[in-house]
Amino acid sequence: MTDDLEAALRAALRPVDPPEGFTGRVMARVASAQRHRLRARWRIPAGIAAAVLLAISIYLHIQQQRREGLEARRAIVEALRLTDEKLDLAYQTVREASGT
Amino acid sequence: MKLSCIGWLFGSLLLSGVACRAAEPRLVLPDFSDLTKKASQSVNITLDSSLLVMAGKFLDGDDPQDAAVREVIKGLSGIYVRSYTFGEDNAYRQSDIDAVNAQLTSPGWSRLVQTKDRKSGANVDIYVMVAGEKAIGMALIASEPRELTIVNIVGSIDLDKLRKLEGHFGVPGLDAATTASPPSKQK
Amino acid sequence: MDDDLAKARAGNMAAFEALVAAHRKQVFGLGLRMLGSVHAAEDLAQEVFMQLHAKLNSIDTAEHLRFWLRRVTANRAIDALRRSALVNVTSLEDEAHDIGSEDPGDPLLQRRLRALLLQLTPAARAVVTLRYQDDLDPTDIAQVLEMPLNTVKSHLKRSLSVMREGLEDHAT
Repeated sequence: MTDDLEAALRAALRPVDPPEGFTGRVMARVASAQRHRLRARWRIPAGIAAAVLLAISIYLHIQQQRREGLEARRAIVEALRLTDEKLDLAYQTVREASGT
Repeated sequence: MKLSCIGWLFGSLLLSGVACRAAEPRLVLPDFSDLTKKASQSVNITLDSSLLVMAGKFLDGDDPQDAAVREVIKGLSGIYVRSYTFGEDNAYRQSDIDAVNAQLTSPGWSRLVQTKDRKSGANVDIYVMVAGEKAIGMALIASEPRELTIVNIVGSIDLDKLRKLEGHFGVPGLDAATTASPPSKQK
Repeated sequence: MDDDLAKARAGNMAAFEALVAAHRKQVFGLGLRMLGSVHAAEDLAQEVFMQLHAKLNSIDTAEHLRFWLRRVTANRAIDALRRSALVNVTSLEDEAHDIGSEDPGDPLLQRRLRALLLQLTPAARAVVTLRYQDDLDPTDIAQVLEMPLNTVKSHLKRSLSVMREGLEDHAT
């Protein structure tokens, strides 16, 4: 009885093929997942790269601000020097005209 | 800066009772690209309020010159300089600066000094714009045979602060802040 | 098989496809018997093969591969059954999938047995399917399902008893 039942079970539970196209569908999903994993793999270093780029750009911005600030300082000194030079020119003219 | 000269100029202005009118102390400076091409050396400085503030952060408070400059620019909102040096005489024309002169004839601007040195051919015109008892703008046009310089300073020009620049640019000391005649030069 | 496995591990997609083709019946069949639905069984089988592709480097031999596939399929099916309120009724469409097989036998009896299988607990269902679909002995089933051997034997004994009673009840 048990042998009959077991034989019947073996017949009832024999392996069956999946629906047609199963292997193709699996390969398509695998390929898609592979592409996704590849993108994700680069996302992590891309995130790190983005952080590094941000740090570099902040540093460069600070350096640029410093350069601009120093350049502005130089320009102010030069502007005041030129102004002084031309005022002195006027003063000399007035002085010579007044005979002093 | 020539403190004695500045003091004399502003003092003259106050005594002459020049009327104060609301006008634009910042000049519209022409492109001057033609002059730049002809010049052997050119200086183009445009410092608006933001750049003046930025520059102020880089002025060393422990350095006497920087400290004095910082005080001068505190009340300023702009410094504009165009200066051209040429390799030969009369490389620029009067018409090149007519556009600037025209602005300085408008209400608000007063010419304080007009100097002409026939020997050297150097002419210096100095203008100011006053509000109340304070100068809020200054313009200087120095025309020399081989050099043209235009300076426009905008903002509250504090005479006392200008005084603190004595000696830093080879400027003599100021004897009096408001005199009708220029005091004697001190070195 | 070992050759395909080695090539698939090296990234050869054609070799991996060959592995899928070689084992799809086993994986799908186990899923179908556990879940009772062609649609659910295909989804599960696809998931198993995708997981296999991701874990290829951890599979050493063909024997290991078969073991791994059984374990993952059974565990996924058990998890799915425990998570969802999957109704243990097969549709005509699901039954039609078994029609036209190599060994027809008594189709009504087989259909009845499959229905009785779906009334077993998930763990018992896995034991019975691995025993009678894959022909594994209880020791192997215990290893696949990480279950004590006595528990496997107990599930088998109890399940056969329930199925026998079910067949007798149906006959009367």
